[in-house]
Amino acid sequence: MERGYWIRSKPVYTALLWNDKATAHAVLAEGEGGLAVLKLFQQALPEQPITVFYSPAGADKDYLPALQAAVDADLRVFETTADLMAAWASYLAEARMGLRIYTTGIEKFMWDVAETAASFGILNQDVMKELTGSLARSVYCVHCKSLTHEVTSNIATCGGCGRKLFVRDHFSRRMGAYMGLMVDAENPGEVPQIEEIYP
Amino acid sequence: MSLAFKQETFRDDYTFRNSPEAIRRFPFPFPEDQYMYSVNIEPHTAGPKGAVTEFTLDVDEHYVAECRDKAITLEQDPGRCAVLPHMMDAEWDFLEFTMESLARDYPEQFSLSKNGKAWTWVNRPLGIEQSFVFGDAATLPMGPFEYMGRQVQGDFVLLDQREDTLFADAGIVTSQADWSLAFNVGMSWNEWHGPVPQVTKLGVMDRALKFLMSLQQANPVRRLNWTMTINPRLDTSPENYPLWGGDRNKVTAENAGELAHLRVELQTLFRMPRSNAIVFSIRCYLISMQEMATYPRWAKRFHRVLRDLHPDLVEYKGITKYQQAVLAWLSRFDDGADIGTGTQPE
Repeated sequence: MERGYWIRSKPVYTALLWNDKATAHAVLAEGEGGLAVLKLFQQALPEQPITVFYSPAGADKDYLPALQAAVDADLRVFETTADLMAAWASYLAEARMGLRIYTTGIEKFMWDVAETAASFGILNQDVMKELTGSLARSVYCVHCKSLTHEVTSNIATCGGCGRKLFVRDHFSRRMGAYMGLMVDAENPGEVPQIEEIYP
Repeated sequence: MSLAFKQETFRDDYTFRNSPEAIRRFPFPFPEDQYMYSVNIEPHTAGPKGAVTEFTLDVDEHYVAECRDKAITLEQDPGRCAVLPHMMDAEWDFLEFTMESLARDYPEQFSLSKNGKAWTWVNRPLGIEQSFVFGDAATLPMGPFEYMGRQVQGDFVLLDQREDTLFADAGIVTSQADWSLAFNVGMSWNEWHGPVPQVTKLGVMDRALKFLMSLQQANPVRRLNWTMTINPRLDTSPENYPLWGGDRNKVTAENAGELAHLRVELQTLFRMPRSNAIVFSIRCYLISMQEMATYPRWAKRFHRVLRDLHPDLVEYKGITKYQQAVLAWLSRFDDGADIGTGTQPE
C-alpha cells in the first residue's frame, strides 16, 4: 500500500476541552490520564458541576497530590479501575440530559467508559477522549473470537488460541479492539519480525 | 433460465460448476479495459428476461446448494448471523420484503398466503411450509431475519440510519469476500469501509453515503463489485482464513483456468417501510477462468483489467500471489484487438 493509506476506522483522539453547553460534567481518568485531567483544569472552568473519577492504576507518576490541589470539583478516587467503572455506572443511572463526558487513559479504559455510557443511550461521539499513557491495543482474534489486552507489538500471540495475529488498524468501537488476523495462515511458520510499535 | 437446481458443493471437493446458461447470464462487471472504484450505483430496475436483474431477488440454479452451504457455515459458526437488539422492526421488514418478492417473482417455487396477521409461507425447493403470526417472533423457529436470510442466496446486512450516517446493525454473512460480520456489526459506514484503499482520496464513500441516505422506498439501487477467489468457495471469511488462505499458493499458469474464479457481487439496496432501515443485499456470483473464457471477449477484457490493476487494489483483493499465473493463463485469448465498451459476452 502506498504511503498515506490509512484505515478510517482507527479512532483519532484529541486533547480534552471543556464544552460549556452543559448541565454537568463527568471526567473519567485512569493512570497517566491524571496528567490530562491536570491540563483540563488549567483551562477556564465551566460553571456547571464537575465530577472527576480517577483510578491511579498503571500511572508512572503519583498524580494524586497535584489532582487534590488543582481539582476544584468533586474528586472521587478509586483503587482499581473495576471500582471506578462500577461507580460510573451508578452515577449514570442518576444522570440527566446535558451531561458532558470526558475520558482519558489507555484505549481500553476509554472504550470501557464509552461502552458503559452507551448502555445508558449515550452516543460514542458524545464521549470526548484523550489517549494517554500507552498506545497498547486490545486485539480481537477473528478466528477464536477472544480478546487479548495490552498488546504492544505489531504481531500478538492470541490469549485464546495461541495463533500469531497480525494487528490491523481496523478498529471496532463496540469491542474497543483492533482486528487480529492469523499472520502465517498462507505460509505456516513464516512469522515476520515482531516489533514493539505500540509502547 | 430454467430452475433445475444443481447438487453441488462450495467446499471440500468443490463440485460447483456453471451451466452454459448460467455463464451467459453472468454479471460481468467490466465495461472498459481499466478498472478503478467509482460510485457505480444505478436504479435497480427490472433487467432483460433471464438476466440476474430480471427480478428483485435473483434465484438461480445454485439456489438449493447455496442455501445448504449457508446452513453448514451457520452451524459451524452461529456468529455469522448477528442482530443488535434495536433491529426487530427491521427484521420483520426484511421477512416481509423477501417473502413477498420471492412469491411474486417465482410463484412455482414460493408462495405466501395471509389472513390478517396469520401468514403461511411455502418454500418448495427447500421443502419448507411455515405458518406463523406476523410480528410475533415466538411463532417462528428463529428470529425473522435469520429465518429468511437462510432462504435467500447471498449475504444481507441491515443498515440503521441515524447520526447522519448508516450503521451495520444486523447481518447474515456466509459468502463474504474476507470481511468479518462479528467484528464489523454495529460499525458506521466510514468505520466499516475503512480498510478499502484509494476510496478516501477519490471521495467515493462519502458520495455513496450521501446518495444512500436519501434512498427512497420505491427506488432501490444496485452496483457491482468484484474480487477473485481460488476454488469456488463461498465462505472466504477472515474467520476461516486459515482454511482457504493457503489455496493462493496453489495457482499455476497450467491450473489457473480451473482454480481461479472471478467473484462478482451484485449489491442491491432497498429502503424498508416500517423501520426506515436499508436492506443491503450482497449476492455472490462465481465463474472460473475456464468458464469465462467460453466467451473470448470476456477473457480479453479481464486479462487487460487484471494486468493494469492499481497495485493497492491487487494487494487489497489478495491477488498478489497468483496475478502472474492467471495473466499467463488468460494471455492466450488476448490478441490486443479493440473490443469496444460494454459488458456483453460477444
